[in-house]
Amino acid sequence: MQDIDLLQSEKKSLLRFLLIYLGSTFLLFSLLSWIFYTSQKQNLLDKQRDGLKIYAQELEHTLRLLHMSYAKTLQYPKHNKIDSAIYDKNRKYIFGTGQNSILLDNNHRMLADNMLYDLSEVKPYYLGAAYMLLSVKIDEVPILELQKQILWFILGTGIFFILLGLFLGKLFIAPMRESMERMNAFIQDTTHELNTPISTILTNIEMLETFGKYEKSNELKRIEIASKTLSRIYDDLTYLNLNHNYHRHIESVNVSFFIEERMVYFSTMAESKCLEVRLDIEPNVMLNVDKNDITRLVDNLFSNAIKYNKPKGLLYIKLSKTMLTVKDTGIGIEKKDLASILQRFKRANKSEGGFGIGLDIVNQVVNSYGFVLNIDSAWKEGTEVRVQW
Amino acid sequence: MVKIIFLSLWLIGILDAHESQVQQFENRCIVCHTSQQIPSELIYRRYLMKYSTKEAMATAILRYLKKPQKKLSIMPPQFFLKFPIKSNLGLDEMTLKKNIEIYLDYFDVKKKLTIPQ
Repeated sequence: MQDIDLLQSEKKSLLRFLLIYLGSTFLLFSLLSWIFYTSQKQNLLDKQRDGLKIYAQELEHTLRLLHMSYAKTLQYPKHNKIDSAIYDKNRKYIFGTGQNSILLDNNHRMLADNMLYDLSEVKPYYLGAAYMLLSVKIDEVPILELQKQILWFILGTGIFFILLGLFLGKLFIAPMRESMERMNAFIQDTTHELNTPISTILTNIEMLETFGKYEKSNELKRIEIASKTLSRIYDDLTYLNLNHNYHRHIESVNVSFFIEERMVYFSTMAESKCLEVRLDIEPNVMLNVDKNDITRLVDNLFSNAIKYNKPKGLLYIKLSKTMLTVKDTGIGIEKKDLASILQRFKRANKSEGGFGIGLDIVNQVVNSYGFVLNIDSAWKEGTEVRVQW
Repeated sequence: MVKIIFLSLWLIGILDAHESQVQQFENRCIVCHTSQQIPSELIYRRYLMKYSTKEAMATAILRYLKKPQKKLSIMPPQFFLKFPIKSNLGLDEMTLKKNIEIYLDYFDVKKKLTIPQ
């Protein structure tokens, strides 16, 4: 019977579990990946910087040779990838292969604009050079390859952990699901077994009334009320069991007539509580609905309004072209319970019997037809339920 | 227009003066040094290797020229066996400084350095 609800709660629990589990795993993996990426990138840059250092030694050697040479022109070495420049002791540019002479600052290792720099000192000052600055464009290919590998790794582990999370989640939920299924089966069997005796009682009460052998005594009224209550509970449970699985027969229903008819059905219950019933029914209000749906909607609203009303209280029912209002002067609902009152098995007040499925059914009917449900309530003053269509 | 003419003349004058100074340096110093086989460029390179900047080199050379002594020179002792220390030239500091500047400019390595095509 409650398979649908079980699945919803399962989904909710699974979702929460997965969010926490995957969120924390993702954070941890992101952190580890970032640390790994940073260190690996540094390694790659260091390798490229090593190339600069080797070239720096070659350049220093060449500077020494040039310094010893007294030729008319001195050919400064040029590398096809690495730019170099020499600076005097005052960090003033002497010569270089770059387009622009880079001004030196105190950072001996600079990394900017996708360039890798290496600054080294020259001693003795061949050609007057006290510093050598080498620069090379960072080779991005291995870094991009590293990024790609890390992304694949995160993707792979992500999929693995999602699957693991789903498996673990289902594993944790299995005992809960099992017990819910057992409860469902029990309720299903119970409702089935209740049907025959309830029908028998109600038929026999009707026969007693019809053939007039007995005056309608208080005892008989109480039996009738109790039987009707049982019958309604049976109908509600059957509705929940079959909901979403049975074919709705949509027809044009005269709601005005229908409500008056249902009030007759509930009259014995209302009388037993000495309620003042005020009906403000606009005639011939028509709705295209399934009769069973509108019965469950109206019955549950009326039943609640009677059940939770004060003795000698007021039951006010108003029907207009656009809205049904059911108002009582009962115990009301506390503010903190209002938000969750529509949940299944939620009972704001346990002074009266019931399973806490009434308003859940009302909500289901309202949602399936796109109606709007509003509940206003004041604690110990009463409740007003409005269904707009 | 008049301003441009004056400016041009002034620049030509400066360039001429500089060229004449370089020529004077070549005629008065280099010719004599070459004939005496004094390795002027080698001396320049030695100063360059030790002091790196033009200013530091100029200061060191000036200090030596004002008081030519072995201990103030950066040349090795063997150098003076072949080229004995010359006596003070008796030139004033301004003239010495000017000559040192011409000397440093004359052998400046920056002018020799080229990038192979």
